[in-house]
Amino acid sequence: MSNKWLVVVVLVLLVLTGAMGLRNVVTAHAGAINVANGGAPIPPDVWSNGGAPIPPDAWSNGGAPIPPDAWSNGGAPIPPDARVN
Amino acid sequence: MLGPADYLVWAIVALLEVCAVVSVIRQRSLKKYFTLVLYLCIAVLVDSARYAILATSGYRSQHYFYFYYYSDAVLTIVLFFALIGLYSRVFADMGIGKYLRAGTVLLLAATAGISYYMVNSSSDKFVTHFVDEISQNLYFVGVLLTYLLWAAMMKTRENRTRVVQLVLSLGIYFSAYAGSYALHNMYPHLEIWRYVAHFMSLWLPLSWAYTFVKVPEESRMATASVLVPNQ
Repeated sequence: MSNKWLVVVVLVLLVLTGAMGLRNVVTAHAGAINVANGGAPIPPDVWSNGGAPIPPDAWSNGGAPIPPDAWSNGGAPIPPDARVN
Repeated sequence: MLGPADYLVWAIVALLEVCAVVSVIRQRSLKKYFTLVLYLCIAVLVDSARYAILATSGYRSQHYFYFYYYSDAVLTIVLFFALIGLYSRVFADMGIGKYLRAGTVLLLAATAGISYYMVNSSSDKFVTHFVDEISQNLYFVGVLLTYLLWAAMMKTRENRTRVVQLVLSLGIYFSAYAGSYALHNMYPHLEIWRYVAHFMSLWLPLSWAYTFVKVPEESRMATASVLVPNQ
């Protein structure tokens, strides 16, 4: 493998590492983020359907590390924008 | 519920996207800005489909919710390719096209791999979580790539006004979102973030439409010159 291909691989890994680091810094301890490509209004939190009180944010209970299967509790789809409301 | 401002912003965004596409086609620059036009076209289609779903199923429906985030992932991937298209424009003269293409594929595959790893333990709604995760990861890859491109443009003294404006507007767009996410984390219960994100969606179509309509292709910016002391 030539040096140029190695440079490409190294750059890709650096960009990826940097991007993941940036994401962790920006969204630390937060739920998923809203991205708004296009002009459509961002849909409301699925948790807020109906009149029941909104449950506490799944990500913010205590200071313990987020468990790996945070998404799989229960059958309801967890919205990306759980922290909006 | 949605108010007139929501619909107004939505309509303006779609109108600006169409305006930018028409402008590029009229100037016969489609080949030069193919990936940007592809993004704008898909954004118009997605906006139309979102409106159709919103009108039939309602704002709080699962249909709208899922379609919004799935289509958002598609748009983020296309925006990633639009950014790579700008890389191609900036580095066109350096003959690194094949390395750029390989790097793009590798970066996309690696991002997908990391996203898969992140949601691998989630047995429920795996595809939905994967789509959400890859969309967000690609977004942050885009943030970093835009800053790297801007640094490379400064280094190579890029002076094509259009390219400079397109990259800068993308940088502002990504930066504004990153800033709003950080503030969102600090004040998560403020309803305002939904509207901030919505209004910020105006920026990219507005700046790109302005660039394609008002800035001629041959326009060049004066770069800072280095003063050489008299001998």
